Amino acid sequence: MDKSVLALTNGLSPALGFAIMIGLGIFLLALSFAIKTALVRNTHDFIIADRKVGFGFGVGSVIAVWTWAMAVMMSSAMTYQWGLSGLFWFVVPNGFAVIAMIPFARILRRNMPQGYTISEFVKYRFAHSKVASGIVTLTMIFGILLEILINLKGTSVVISTVFSVDWKVAAIVGIVCVLTYSYFGGLWTSVMTGTLNTLMVTVPAAIVVAAVYDHVHGGAPAVFDAVAAANPRNLSVLRPDAAAGFGITLAFGLLAATVADQTFWQKVWAIRGPEVARTFFWAGALFYPIPICLGMLGLVGIAFGITATDIGGDIAAIGPYVVSHVGLPVALVILYVLSILAACYSTIDGASAALSSVVAVDIVKRYWPATNEGPLFVITKLSMLGGGVVATLIVLSGVDFTTLVLTTYALKTSILLPLVLAILWPRTNTIGFVGGVALAILIGMPIYETQGELIGTLSIVVISGMTVLIAGHAGSARFDIASLRRVGDDIAAQQTAVIVQPAE
Amino acid sequence: MSIAFTLIVTLGLLGAATFLIGFSKGVGEAVREYRNPQPEGAWIDEGHYGVGALFAVVASAVVIALVGVAPAWIYAGPLLAIVTATGVGVAFLMGNRRSPTAPKA
Repeated sequence: MDKSVLALTNGLSPALGFAIMIGLGIFLLALSFAIKTALVRNTHDFIIADRKVGFGFGVGSVIAVWTWAMAVMMSSAMTYQWGLSGLFWFVVPNGFAVIAMIPFARILRRNMPQGYTISEFVKYRFAHSKVASGIVTLTMIFGILLEILINLKGTSVVISTVFSVDWKVAAIVGIVCVLTYSYFGGLWTSVMTGTLNTLMVTVPAAIVVAAVYDHVHGGAPAVFDAVAAANPRNLSVLRPDAAAGFGITLAFGLLAATVADQTFWQKVWAIRGPEVARTFFWAGALFYPIPICLGMLGLVGIAFGITATDIGGDIAAIGPYVVSHVGLPVALVILYVLSILAACYSTIDGASAALSSVVAVDIVKRYWPATNEGPLFVITKLSMLGGGVVATLIVLSGVDFTTLVLTTYALKTSILLPLVLAILWPRTNTIGFVGGVALAILIGMPIYETQGELIGTLSIVVISGMTVLIAGHAGSARFDIASLRRVGDDIAAQQTAVIVQPAE
Repeated sequence: MSIAFTLIVTLGLLGAATFLIGFSKGVGEAVREYRNPQPEGAWIDEGHYGVGALFAVVASAVVIALVGVAPAWIYAGPLLAIVTATGVGVAFLMGNRRSPTAPKA
């Protein structure tokens, strides 16, 4: 297949790119106004949706926050780079990571029904240890910032590739659009707009991928033959270099990305108790088709022999490049861009909502417990803007955010097993938890730096887990997780007091 | 337009319709619940998801592997993406479980 036939679809002007970004933002803003009016009264509604998120919204919104720019663009990129083995290692642990939340979510939702954040659980689990809860709070904030960064970058990559817009301008317009609508309704807005975005990611992606194969001369069989001709291993899922190159590390990273991520824990406490487990099961299972579908664009990239240089050096751009150069009508290119933007917007929105819960519960109420509902509500909403501004400045500064990625990765991977054991194993104690995380970073990260991702990741996981186990066996204390049922709902209680006050 | 493309567009529209019907139902329920809140009673969740999870993981792996067997399997991804949209709609239509101790409406 000859890549010289590829040409940018006519009519994809920068103005059209801005119109799509802003148009989607305005549509979601109108929706969020309606949601705010109908469903949000106070901080409790804003950060936890009154714990009334049902099954349908739960499934749709969990899929939406997990459908990062990573899922929609990197699935094509990994297929393009490693063939079907890349897609296999990218996809299989991805859905499983969501389903893996079920046992932990079930335990904490039942035993700590008034919870808001995972840092709050750690605070009560480890006798109000400021170090333990501080580590987790910091990890959550870094993780959330990274989610916003990556998805902002995803937005700018797709818009700059397809519409030749300056990527910095695209990033600014994107973050303004998301923060404007998510500011108003908090978690309910995130849940409802995210669920709608799941529709915008799935059906348009299916139609666009089918259309791409329809526009390639010879269709799917021609692509299949060209991919095999380029390298027969492209059609195998058993390439060991893909597993060693990124697959195994990614699998651990994805597990940490759900179990050690407030975006998911906020959903756990916001979804109705009886719906939590089946929501995460359905969301994980129904997530799978999204990257599988979009991964097929990577095969087209291989078939045409497109090189990384052809697409500006960033292989994440392979999907947008194929769609905008294969000869599709403008309407279908717009549909694809909308589906990528929907994924990016909903993840940034979900991360911002998670940040609001961390700020309200783990920072303001913890360090300034006397803060009244009025100021708390304002601070909670402003924190979403603050997170967006910080992430945007990092993206715009052009600095290589490898340090942030590595720090977040180290923290998340280090707390993965200690957190899991804190939930499942009564003998987990504060020394083991804090020591496990600290040793994993101090010893594991240098190993990661010198020995590579695979050995480094396994070292971090083993060191953190072993430390918790040794400390647990050395100590005699046992934690009764059912004691968490006595933990009150500080934020809701304050609002009840405010409502009751006038009648007193 | 190929048969595959026509089929995917048709099924996509049906999936989107199912999604939107379910979404409308979900919004209505959320607003009704907000206006007439019911406390969350004691609840039991005895669902087992181990076999289902294994099936989902294996099925995703098999579908990807099959893409390397015959070109027709390339269209499995788009078809399954439509299943995702339809599935979310179905989740809305199935609705929430009633907790055993919650007062009946």
